[in-house]
Amino acid sequence: MENEIVLSVKGLSKQYKKGVYASQDVTFDIKKGEIFALIGPNGAGKTTTIRMIATLLTPTEGDALVGGHSVTEEPDKVRKCLTYLPDEAGAYKNMTGRKYLQFMADIYADNKSQAAEFVKRAEEICALGDRLDDKAESYSRGMIRKLLLARTIMPHPVVAILDEPTSGLDIINALEIRRMIRTLAADGMSFLLSSHNMLEIEYVSDRVGIIANGHLLETGAPKELLEKYGAQNLEEVFERVVKNNEVL
Amino acid sequence: MKFFSILKKELREMLNMQMILMLVFLVVVMYSMSGFVDSAIDESMEESAEIVLCDKDNTDFSKSVIRFIEHPTAETEADNEVKLITLESDDYAAELKRLDKKSFVIIPEGFTDKINNGEQAELIYVSKMTSFSTMSNMNAGSETAVAYIEAAVKSAIFTNKVQLGKLSENEVTQINSPITIKENTIVGDKSSEISQMILYSSVFGQTLLLPLVVYMLILLGSQSMINAVTAEKLDKTLETLLSAPVSRLSVLSAKMLAAAIVALINAAVYMVGMNNMTTAASGAVPEEYKKYAAELGISFGLKYYLLIGIQMLLSTIIALSLAMILGAFAKNVKSSQTLLMPILFLTIIPFMAAEFIDISSLPGAIKYLLYAIPFTHTFMASDTVTFSKTSLYVGGLIYQAVFLMVCVIAAIKIFTTDKIVTASENTSSRRKRKKHSDN
Ligand SMILES: Nc1ncnc2c1ncn2[C@@H]1O[C@H](COP(=O)(O)OP(=O)(O)OP(=O)(O)O)[C@@H](O)[C@H]1O
Ligand SMILES: [Mg+2]
Repeated sequence: MENEIVLSVKGLSKQYKKGVYASQDVTFDIKKGEIFALIGPNGAGKTTTIRMIATLLTPTEGDALVGGHSVTEEPDKVRKCLTYLPDEAGAYKNMTGRKYLQFMADIYADNKSQAAEFVKRAEEICALGDRLDDKAESYSRGMIRKLLLARTIMPHPVVAILDEPTSGLDIINALEIRRMIRTLAADGMSFLLSSHNMLEIEYVSDRVGIIANGHLLETGAPKELLEKYGAQNLEEVFERVVKNNEVL
Repeated sequence: MKFFSILKKELREMLNMQMILMLVFLVVVMYSMSGFVDSAIDESMEESAEIVLCDKDNTDFSKSVIRFIEHPTAETEADNEVKLITLESDDYAAELKRLDKKSFVIIPEGFTDKINNGEQAELIYVSKMTSFSTMSNMNAGSETAVAYIEAAVKSAIFTNKVQLGKLSENEVTQINSPITIKENTIVGDKSSEISQMILYSSVFGQTLLLPLVVYMLILLGSQSMINAVTAEKLDKTLETLLSAPVSRLSVLSAKMLAAAIVALINAAVYMVGMNNMTTAASGAVPEEYKKYAAELGISFGLKYYLLIGIQMLLSTIIALSLAMILGAFAKNVKSSQTLLMPILFLTIIPFMAAEFIDISSLPGAIKYLLYAIPFTHTFMASDTVTFSKTSLYVGGLIYQAVFLMVCVIAAIKIFTTDKIVTASENTSSRRKRKKHSDN
């Protein structure tokens, strides 16, 4: 059961314009309770890959199975299995945090009592206390991120997809969010993250995928990769992986 | 120095390429429109300036009066062309239709006798109301004819009688106002003895109100729609919704419905407010005028409001779906405002046109150009409903329905495919990013 694959990405490619691949032949798996991170520089194709998995973009080639459902053939079923936190996302500005959670809970829940349960859970996770009754436009960036993270987690998705979950946050807030992710993964939730900050991702993810120019060049546990490339940290690994591929 | 750097930056910000393109478009549209409008106004002026006369009296005097209209004695006045007609019946509505005229003046039998007997003579002035637009309610030709006839009669009385010496009391009255005018206004095949000008001014308030409400509805509705879509895109709350287990059609239709409800509330408030104003204004309109209007079938009852309401609703929903589609392409709040411009123009052009001219009487090309704008049919609805231009009303409705269908299909296409996510990325900014990654 522990080795159950919840997300299987097979040869996913996207061309926004004919002949130009924003991501090409991306293949990886995520197991239950695993935290997988796509790491790569700006414009590498992380968001493109994630949006295809989140059923927002149709792949030019390839497919991905979320909880056993194909994103190209059964997007409706896929949407029941995953939640998605876009990068630099905001909440509805003139809604209070609590209203926002209630609104999203109504969308994800099958009935009222389940929705109430989701909201309760989200309120605990985000730990915003009384500020939940303030409008979202008065929140700091960190508060918004916590609110949205709580929203992403509350319906117990099979896979939670977080695009750059800690970018733009201070050390304390980023740390808190990484801890939250770890705790939830320990409970069996799977995560697909993306980041261009390779140092911090080392601490949070079980496995990473190095992506550059649309190609997934290497996947593995951070420890394995450090050993394989004889590197001090993932940044060095990244540098070497990219160099090796240029030679090829 | 610093001030000028900031000023330059602000100007660059405000006068971006999109804005400039829009301005160029605007100038081109206005320029070509003004040409059209000129010719349209010329045309309707020409029609309204035509002098159409029926001489039933057929005496030397009446003939001399007509000659006087044709060749006024004063040197400053130009010659006029008078079209003489003969009537086949007293059914003025039918006669106007047969002759294909907007108005005519009748010199009735016995006109000369009455003048010779020192009595006030009567003229009959028949005009047809086909629209609530300002220009179409002017019958310059007939007004001119009446004025000339009065002048001719005055001078005849003068030369014939005043020279004889003493005047009787009746004769003084006669000289002061030698003729009375019996005005008949025709609507469709109904005729009523009321002046078209009086009738027009008594319903003017009513007919002014509706286009204004429509205008506000379309603008407010599309504004709030485009803002909503842009905000959802920029905050990425839309991406969240589109990846959630909810059908995209419900996301789309909920947005439309909400905007339509808000627009309707707005409309209701405007209607009530404006209605108070117009009833206050039309309080001055005597009851008997309203009676005449009703006699001609000009009434603003339930059926009128229902038919107009359907039109308004269609236009509003079209505007909303257009705004929704445009909103999908907005890359920031400012660009969403620029994107709104086409809707603004498509609204203001028919709004102004319908206010002044009877669009259905315009020459071909410009008429169909205006008909192609879906909102035109709503601005014309007051006319088409009141003046029984049924095929125009129904045709407009069908055209709008088809237009709406196309818009909705386009909106669905955009919202259920990659477009809603990718459309925002502006080509130039993408190219810039690409360059960065190449370096
Ligand atoms: N809508 C679009 N149309 C065309 N090209 C696009 C579009 N969106 C992204 N791209 C291009 O696809 C490539 C991958 O972009 P993507 O957003 O996936 O990168 P990323 O890894 O998420 O970068 P970042 O770290 O900056 O978020 C880039 O070259 C980008 O310019
Ligand atoms: Mg990205």
